[in-house]
This record gives sequence, C-alpha cells and structure tokens, in this order.
Amino acid sequence: MSVNPANPKSAGNRVGSVQCDNTTLHLLKANDYVAQAIRTRLKDVCVINVCSSPGSGKTTLMQETGKRLAKDLNISILVGDPETERDAVRMREVGINALQIVTGGMCHIEAQMILQALDHIDLTGTDLLFIENVGNLLCPSAFDLGEDYRVTLLATTEGDDKPKKYPRMFLTSELMLVSKADLLPYVPFSVDAVSKDAWEVNPNLEVMTISTLNGEGLDAWCDWLKAKVQAKKEAANQTTEK
Amino acid sequence: MHELSIVKDIFDTLSAHYATKIDDIQKIQVTAGLLSNVQPVLIQNAFDAFIADNRQYRDMELEVIVNDIIAHCDHCQKDFNVQYHRFVCPCGQPSTQIVQGNELFISKVIFKQHVS
Repeated sequence: MSVNPANPKSAGNRVGSVQCDNTTLHLLKANDYVAQAIRTRLKDVCVINVCSSPGSGKTTLMQETGKRLAKDLNISILVGDPETERDAVRMREVGINALQIVTGGMCHIEAQMILQALDHIDLTGTDLLFIENVGNLLCPSAFDLGEDYRVTLLATTEGDDKPKKYPRMFLTSELMLVSKADLLPYVPFSVDAVSKDAWEVNPNLEVMTISTLNGEGLDAWCDWLKAKVQAKKEAANQTTEK
Repeated sequence: MHELSIVKDIFDTLSAHYATKIDDIQKIQVTAGLLSNVQPVLIQNAFDAFIADNRQYRDMELEVIVNDIIAHCDHCQKDFNVQYHRFVCPCGQPSTQIVQGNELFISKVIFKQHVS
C-alpha cells in the first residue's frame, strides 16, 4: 500500500473515530535500493563479497589470490575494517589496486559505503572486485552490497559447528571456503561434519577446502573465480547486444 | 542485531508516510521473520529507550510479531515449516525457496481515539 506523505489518507477522518491502518511499510529497505544501484553501475565487473569471522584468513587469501591471478585477471579490492588502513597497505604490497573502507567501529559494511567508495577507486579495466567485509559472521549477512557472489571463509580452528550457529551467513552465501586446512591433522574439525551442517542450512552451497600456507585448493578457488568472471562478462555482452 | 537503527527506521518511515499525523499514533505493530535477525526483546528495549529520549512519542506502544520460517518444496508442491534452520522438507528434499521468514515491516498502525 502506498501512502502519499503530503496527503495522508487518514486526514479526512472525523475526530472521534478509531483508525487502524494495515500496512506493509518495509524497514531497512534503503540498503537494498543502493545495492541495486551498485549492480547497475558494475555491469561487467564480477563483484565478490568475502565474509568471515576475524582472523580466518580473508586478507591472506586475497593477497595469495592476487599473486596467482595477476596474469589472468585485473583485480581490485575494497577492504572494510572498523579501524586502520593496514589491510589496504597489505594489498598494495602485492600490487593489487586497493581502497580501505574504515567503518568507524561499525560491525559491517553497508551498500552506501560501497557506493561512495566507487567514486574514489579507479575500476577501469577491472575484471574482479573483491569486497573484504568486516570480520563478523552475523551482521554482514543482512546487508546486500550489490555483489554477484558471497563467499564465506570458515577456518578449521573455529570449529565445525558454526553453520548452524550463524545460519543466515551460510544461507546467503554461494561458496564456503574451509580455510587453514593445513591444520586439519591437529584440530578437532571435520570437513564432512561442517559440510553436512552447512548443507542443511543451504543445500546449494559449494564447499572448498583451502590452505594459503601449503597451497591446497587454491587452484580450484582460482578456477572458480575465473569461471565467475567469464560468466559475468558474457552476461554483460548479451545485454549490450540486445 | 541492529535494533536501534531499526527503531530509528520505524520513526523515519512513519513520519515520511504520515507526516504530522505521527503524533496521533497510539500503537504500531512490527512483523519480523525469524531470518531477519531481529530479537523482539531487544527491539522492545531499543524502542523504549528511543521514546524515553523523544518525549512526543512517550505514549506510543510497540508490538512485535515473529514469523516462522516457511519454505516451499518443489517435490511435494507444498510449503513446510523450517525448524532449527534445517532447510529440508519432511519428504527429505532440501529447499531454500523461502516463502516467509525474511520479512521486516510495519504491519499495523493504530491511531489514538479522540473524544471531542
């Protein structure tokens, strides 16, 4: 139901009558509008929102991915942290075009922050844009950032019971990366158990096991990225041809 | 989760839609799906804190209705209740086609009764 703010529909009611409006006034919808604007703007750039709890290896994975795909893809990254420029500096050290989003203590990135950041980063020629979210498995799950895919890392040191504890994060992700796989012999973590738990929340979730330390699974991860970039470009070309 | 920003959003939304008539609102009802990460107790507390700071709304009441998560099973052509975040139909078929549970909206606005 739409209501004209300049002319509220209740204005004509006589004083003395009880009035009850059944409405569908959606809350927190502003974020979704902005996310849609980002999608329109980044038609031929594949955007990936990388989420996880703090310390599960997002930044190290981004560095390693940048190095491995340097020849194949032009990668840019927006890095979100409550404070400091540290992660953007780490990205630039390996030659990735990076911009830090300092959220000022906020626990997640909102679409508005991405839209503003787009005015300050040169994405000419960029094939793949990573958004490294704030380390948090809860709040970022509720905010669409205009991404094509959401990838969630879960380190083997975090325990294999997390998908059911943070269901919305895993429900809204396309891919779960089990990181720090090199520690599997030393920690009580079962990849089978975590996959089973995750698939009950999201049967369509893809699962990969990776280690940035010994390189396990990184080829598969890079191939996944290349395929997604290719798919985005093909989709963009089709819409321009029409 | 973001209960205070949701409460602010409630008042922004109401003033955008009802303008000055917002002062005549007695009660609002918010419907939140279980997947919206909204905790009824926390939103109630955030609402109470907000109206304590904004005296013109001090008599306003809030009711929060929580919706279960319901998904659709293509195999059975039926909707099923999702319990404990297990997105699997009783027939064994997994499904993430969410019919209900993501929503967050103001579902009812009740205005004060004026006695003239």
